[in-house]
Amino acid sequence: MRRKLIAIIAMLAAGMMLFASGPQEAPAAGDGPIELKFWSLFTGGDGEFFDAMIEEFNSSQDEIHMTNDMVKFDDYYTKLTTALAAGTAPDVIVLHQARLINYVPSGVLLPLDGYVSEEMLADFQAAPLEACRMDGSLYAIPFDVHPIVMYTNRALLEAAGITELPKTAEEYSAAAKAVKEATGQWGSLIDNTTGTYKAYTLTRLFVSLVNQQGGSMLTDDLSAAAFNNEYGYNALVWLQALVNDGVNPNELDYDAAMNMFKLGEGAFYFNGVWATGTLEQTEGLDFVASPLPAFMGESAAWTDSHTFAIPVQKNQDPVKVEAAISFIDWMTGHAYLWAKAGNIPTRNSVLEGEEFHALPYRADYAAAVSSVVANPPTAAWGEIYETLSDLLEAAVTKDADPQAALDGMESTVNEIISRY
Amino acid sequence: MAARKKILPRILEILLIAVWVFPLAWMVITSLKYENEVVTRAFTFLPANPTLYNYIEAFGSTYILRWLLNSLIISLVTMAATFILDAPIAYAFAKIRFPGRSILFWLVMAGMMVPFQVLIVPLYLQFNSYGIINTLTAAILPRLAMPIGIFILRQFYEGIPDALEEAAFIDGAGRLRTFTRIILPLGKSAATTVIILAFINAWNDFLWPLIAINDSVRYTITVGIANFQGTHGTEYALIMAGAVIASVPELIFFLIFRRKIIDGIAMTGLKG
Amino acid sequence: MIPGNRDIRDGILFSLPFMVVFALFMVYPLVFGFYISFFRWNILGTPAFLGLQNYADLFRDEKFWSSLWHTVQFVLMTTPVLLVMGFLMALLVTGKSPLKGLMETVFFVPYIFSMTVVATLWAWIMQKDFGILNHIIRMLGGEGVSWLTSESNAMWSISIATYWWTAGFNMVLFTAGIKQISKEVFESATVDGANALQKVLHITIPLVKPTTILCLILQVIASFNVFGQVYVMTGGGPAGSTRVLIQYIYETGFSYFRMGYSAAMSYILFAIIMAISVIQYAVLGRRND
Repeated sequence: MRRKLIAIIAMLAAGMMLFASGPQEAPAAGDGPIELKFWSLFTGGDGEFFDAMIEEFNSSQDEIHMTNDMVKFDDYYTKLTTALAAGTAPDVIVLHQARLINYVPSGVLLPLDGYVSEEMLADFQAAPLEACRMDGSLYAIPFDVHPIVMYTNRALLEAAGITELPKTAEEYSAAAKAVKEATGQWGSLIDNTTGTYKAYTLTRLFVSLVNQQGGSMLTDDLSAAAFNNEYGYNALVWLQALVNDGVNPNELDYDAAMNMFKLGEGAFYFNGVWATGTLEQTEGLDFVASPLPAFMGESAAWTDSHTFAIPVQKNQDPVKVEAAISFIDWMTGHAYLWAKAGNIPTRNSVLEGEEFHALPYRADYAAAVSSVVANPPTAAWGEIYETLSDLLEAAVTKDADPQAALDGMESTVNEIISRY
Repeated sequence: MAARKKILPRILEILLIAVWVFPLAWMVITSLKYENEVVTRAFTFLPANPTLYNYIEAFGSTYILRWLLNSLIISLVTMAATFILDAPIAYAFAKIRFPGRSILFWLVMAGMMVPFQVLIVPLYLQFNSYGIINTLTAAILPRLAMPIGIFILRQFYEGIPDALEEAAFIDGAGRLRTFTRIILPLGKSAATTVIILAFINAWNDFLWPLIAINDSVRYTITVGIANFQGTHGTEYALIMAGAVIASVPELIFFLIFRRKIIDGIAMTGLKG
Repeated sequence: MIPGNRDIRDGILFSLPFMVVFALFMVYPLVFGFYISFFRWNILGTPAFLGLQNYADLFRDEKFWSSLWHTVQFVLMTTPVLLVMGFLMALLVTGKSPLKGLMETVFFVPYIFSMTVVATLWAWIMQKDFGILNHIIRMLGGEGVSWLTSESNAMWSISIATYWWTAGFNMVLFTAGIKQISKEVFESATVDGANALQKVLHITIPLVKPTTILCLILQVIASFNVFGQVYVMTGGGPAGSTRVLIQYIYETGFSYFRMGYSAAMSYILFAIIMAISVIQYAVLGRRND
């Protein structure tokens, strides 16, 4: 009995060593392809299109082989940051442009200026590329731009006798009411409650609406909140009114909003452009995607951007860096494949290409990229964004006094800024 | 009257059992439906077209079998190592009167109350300097410092009469011999509890393996399932299929060791 | 008691293997974490010494207090119910029912499933639009309930999932306690004409008190450490109303990378759990002796 136990333990230990041994070293350059590792955070519809792109990249050439590990969005930055701190990050990573500020000052990302050709850079749209530059150095290459857009169910609009998309906040509310009265379905599906995700849509709309009126979220020197004024007030009151008037469901979470729109239970729906691909795959849904209307004045829409970056390694292998750049070049240069998911490519050659123009809607909202709102370049923005989502959720779902809610939001944001 | 008195409680009990089993049944039923039958207002209880699509998808597009294997290795090694480490010190706490014993005991017990989140960053940096991040070893080691097993074993060993040990000493047996020949066999049931709990806890661990292991091929099943949920968006039928796959080994383990697990846990309470 | 008294040597030798592991993977990181709690550190850059600033900030941080309060809420919502449920289940499985073996298995089985599985399963059952619970309510003519997306329900919904998950563990402990009571006590009570309820109230409950105390201590510690169910089922929502302390610790540490502040909060939580355990042990344990 005891001997058996010892034998089992010995076997386990042996097995453990087998599995515990470090990753297989990639073969040296010269024999076989260069092995690269990549971490991404693409989920849902995005994930499928992205995996397909990696596969196509690997089969398109035989010098580089890319292995992609998908990490769930919630856990992605946790894992990435701990790995960067420990120097164990992979060869290429994806970062949201808004997050660059959290990494660049610590020197964990490789400046790319020396590695990327002028010719390649010249092909990129200026705004998204400039957003990846800090203190004069380029730290990332933009893969896409993904602003918030409006999705409209055409059948419901027709049933309510509406022929044109709303252009102002008032028109939107009126159209939503008309749909509700004519069809009994919801006029508006703005998610306002934490479920799988926080109520980010509220924050994205709030940011957009404040900017549409000429305001901004933070002061120019990024030292304090700047939305506790009539701009913020108008935006919040409008978001609250949609729920109070009964045209937008209360306690609606992200997944539910998406599912209800897919089932044709609501006329208008707001999400990032990444939802387009998924909605297109939904049978029996007749919808149109359009840039966020200038509800409150000028065109302005919240956006973020996925970028590729190369972590600094202890012994940076120039061969791998070159290979990583080739990979990034290929991915951004074939971003019409990525546009299938709904995302907007960043290179002129792609934006002007036939493949991109063959896709519906994209060209329309791609034009609106010029009016996107840049994320405030402060390390505190991540926490501010998350916290505002909670506070807006409370204000909208519980119909809080808008002025009191804004006062609370302002003091909380200032408190957060003071801690960074 | 007497018959009715017997039937009514039975009916209530059966209802209670049904309520308790239902969530598990629902997990299986959902996993056999197509997604468009799941996310719909037209509710049907049983699948209209039962399908293994979600299982095929789960096995085909993920490393799910490998994750199960990883979890199994981690749990078995943790189980064995926990026993090897915990039994001697539990014996020392119960039977050996050495100075500092009670201070050491309370120090170890205090370890039971440490929220694991406190340890994650220091552990990560520490393990990285040893170069073992992204290995199954890294997933195992912190579990071994958890003192719950010591608590249970000490309780039990204390109940073993000193006379038994003393008899062995008189026969000329040393400490080690007494421990392996008398204490360990007598404490078999307590040891069983400890290793079973160690297995279950290691199997269910989530946060630490999530951070300590980078390559998806080395994930444990709990981490894999949580990520898998992300790869495909919120597809309930698929997620439920993943949950079923993740649960089957645990269920088998439970059904085999049912009596031992329940009796083992029961024993921890006896001397409370 | 032992020839040549080698207690010191043996004590050290028998304790050593575990103590080495304990020192390496528990004490050392704990001390290092405590050290970090005096710094502002985003784990990528260089730590900046703050002294007690993190601890001082904590007292002014509304989110810290609300998260602590949500944790206490969860402890209060789960502990008594889980104790009562565990006890009642134990009465059922130690009774005379022919189904008692089956009940024991069925009540216990959820406990072996992992948190990820339990939480995703219940999130699906309680899903507002397509979840089975609301489907049933609608079939019975009611209106769907916002189980997880309304502030008044969310914490209760998480608690319900937790009852299902862990009540069986307490049942097992209570079952053991009840089985220890000698049959004669019950028999003599029957002779004295006591009915079933009287027996439970006057015999079973007082005599399982040691088990109750053990359950209480284990349950309070477990409930104070709640995180996974909340994280998966509501993500702390709606509007942060179910954000528990460990989640806030996790978020500040691993989403916002304020490691020092996160560590400082962990130590406060650690101190609270320690204090409660010691008080429970002292007050309840003493009276029992």
